[in-house]
Amino acid sequence: MSVSREDFSIAFRSALLQRGASQKFSILSLIIVALVVFFLDVYGFAVVKTTRSFINDLVYRVTYLTSVPTRLFPGINKGIANHFNLKNENEELRKVIERYKALDLNLEYISNENKNLKKVLDTENVESVTNIVLAKVLVDRNSPFLKSIIINKGSKEGIIKGMPVTQNKYLVGRIVETNFLSSRVLLLNDLNSRIPVTFDEKSTQAILTGGGTRKPTLAYLPEDYEFKENITVFASGKDGIFNAGTPIGKTRNNGEVELFVDPNQLSFVTVNLIKPTKEIF
Amino acid sequence: MAKKNIINKLFAAGPLILLYYLSISEVDTNLEKLFDIFSINLQIIIIYFWIIKRPSLMGTGHIFFAGLINDVVMGFPLGISSLSYLVVCFVGNYVRNKSVNTTIASDWFTFFIALLFANLLFVYLLNNFSEVIISYAKIGYNTFFTLFLFPVFWFLFHLYQISFIGSQDA
Repeated sequence: MSVSREDFSIAFRSALLQRGASQKFSILSLIIVALVVFFLDVYGFAVVKTTRSFINDLVYRVTYLTSVPTRLFPGINKGIANHFNLKNENEELRKVIERYKALDLNLEYISNENKNLKKVLDTENVESVTNIVLAKVLVDRNSPFLKSIIINKGSKEGIIKGMPVTQNKYLVGRIVETNFLSSRVLLLNDLNSRIPVTFDEKSTQAILTGGGTRKPTLAYLPEDYEFKENITVFASGKDGIFNAGTPIGKTRNNGEVELFVDPNQLSFVTVNLIKPTKEIF
Repeated sequence: MAKKNIINKLFAAGPLILLYYLSISEVDTNLEKLFDIFSINLQIIIIYFWIIKRPSLMGTGHIFFAGLINDVVMGFPLGISSLSYLVVCFVGNYVRNKSVNTTIASDWFTFFIALLFANLLFVYLLNNFSEVIISYAKIGYNTFFTLFLFPVFWFLFHLYQISFIGSQDA
């Protein structure tokens, strides 16, 4: 019995403290370091905040660069599929396509990007408005727990926590973290997202609640409220953060809201430089 | 000879490169567009498998650093992923110290324990020390699918190991 307890203790200690040729740090020492980093970050010491902001900017840029191949794959797949579907193409043309395929893909990617930018400029009237910032989505990692995106504009452009983010004048989310050169946008379908909204002819008030799923739901509605399909939901502006009347989506029979902007398809967004009356999240 | 040596080193660094790439890139293991509740934690599977089979390929310092990068990209408090990865590492080390020969079944069972501890710590720290709210259901689904798909990745990594690194276990 005592031998077995001794075995356990030896294996336990060895697992925690063992180091080797490639294991330069023991697990125990790294656990302690990780705990220190965690508590410093959670309790928000100024030095840690500045350091984190710097690290964030750096890591987001690297993430953007490392994700380039994954962004190009869908384009490449599409190009190859189109190529094989062209039945009446003769051999000569096929050779030309082969030669220029890479260039075509690149061109397609750039022209799509250009179209998107034009659309954003047209709908947002960027030239005539000074209190908005056009930003590119750097990282759109689809986490199972948090629904957020990283944009390439930060406190350098005057962005602060809480500012609303839109695309084509439709609400997308709000800023929850700012770094010097980048910011994190919390999307409307995140579990942490709560937006006061208004809709229908009676100006019914409710809270749009993200559930971590694709469609947020309406909560805190009047008693016995019956949902109707296809009613436009607007931000009520009661929180002092979002512009009253910013369109968000259309209602569904089950209380969900189909967002006007698909949170998984964002390329460019605009940050409205409205100073919120209070900071949330 | 020198060329072969470089290729061998590159293959040996494969798991670590994959771990870093998954942490820093936009590559998702959350396929909610196809299946609403599906998500897996591939990093934990990679760490556990290689800590059990070839700990020399998976330095704990690298695991810690990959966790920090993952936190920055995902927007979690710094250090939380590192802690859960290190817990997996610890369980893996313990199992390796205690067992002489492992099979896919024994690895699967011990992986369940490692995953459970790692996710419990993750949820506990987020709930008690952070303002970030996460869904328990999502964590549950993530744990389930990670556990469920472990044998598939075990088999793939095992193939990689015998093909490119050598069949000798640690």
